[in-house]
Amino acid sequence: MLLTDEVRRYIGFGAMTCSEPVEKGAVRRFAQAIMDEDPKYAEGEPGDRFGGPIAPPLYPALMFRRPLGTPDPLAHAADPDYDGLSLATSTGLPDLPLRGHGLVSAGAEAEFYRYARHGESVVQHSAYRDIYERESKNGQPLLFTLIESEFRTAEGELLLRFRYRYVRR
Amino acid sequence: MTARRLAFEDVVVGDDVPELRKGPLTSAHLMRWSAATENWHRIHYDFPFAVERDRLPGLLIHGDLKLQFVFQCLIRWAGDGGWVWKVAVQFRDISLAGETLTIWARVADKKRAGQFGLVKLVVGMRNEHAKESIQGSAVVAPPYADGSAVPYPFQPGDAVGAFEEPA
Repeated sequence: MLLTDEVRRYIGFGAMTCSEPVEKGAVRRFAQAIMDEDPKYAEGEPGDRFGGPIAPPLYPALMFRRPLGTPDPLAHAADPDYDGLSLATSTGLPDLPLRGHGLVSAGAEAEFYRYARHGESVVQHSAYRDIYERESKNGQPLLFTLIESEFRTAEGELLLRFRYRYVRR
Repeated sequence: MTARRLAFEDVVVGDDVPELRKGPLTSAHLMRWSAATENWHRIHYDFPFAVERDRLPGLLIHGDLKLQFVFQCLIRWAGDGGWVWKVAVQFRDISLAGETLTIWARVADKKRAGQFGLVKLVVGMRNEHAKESIQGSAVVAPPYADGSAVPYPFQPGDAVGAFEEPA
């Protein structure tokens, strides 16, 4: 069983985090990694309706970074069982106490309202909305985790609502 | 790059959106995405770990990278005057390094919603062996042919609840 009382206590836990300003270089690397080199992600386009260069739609959900001085996630990378898995930086939420259980994506829902512009900071509110267990076809326990996030500018303008579902096994 | 303009009146239920092809997506592409997002999960770049420790058949293409491709496909179709409002997907199967992914979408329904139109689509993603790995839906708002661009930032207004929520 993966859904222990200790894990169940995370349901409803939420956190708010504020990003560093959207960086031109980070947006460039992101756009190149998704192979979408649209000029509006670099310089903007004259007369465009976005008010300047912007980041790709889902960038706010993946822009949160580990601050200097916090524990290095690669400190244990020499451990053969180290999986490199952490959602703590990107969501602001504590990782579930499930070390050693594999993770894959199960689903995602996005509602998109506005692009983040270069130089804007983004405020994230995230929460463990649900954690539940199911059984695989071969009887293996699967733990589903639903994280809900909302991303706004520092001035409170809504950018994106995002729901991501993971499965641990 | 998206200079074309889609109009609500031109959208026909049953029509296919132009497909978007990505790949072959090699371990280098996965490494680039991991680095861009500071995602250190080893199943995306450490082949022995993925296969021997996590019992996967190879290096996994990130789910959040596949989601970027879905948005990209729909944004290109919606054009400069439209808006991709909602996307919902289930990751039904894994995709492995080496695969070429084709993102597709088909118009399922359309209706007027005040200042702009609304189009519901079914979306999916298949590899070069026709294996589907994503099942989902989307709602896109194109402008009317004689109207201006969809308001920005997007304000759904009367559009809320126009279609049942994406799966």
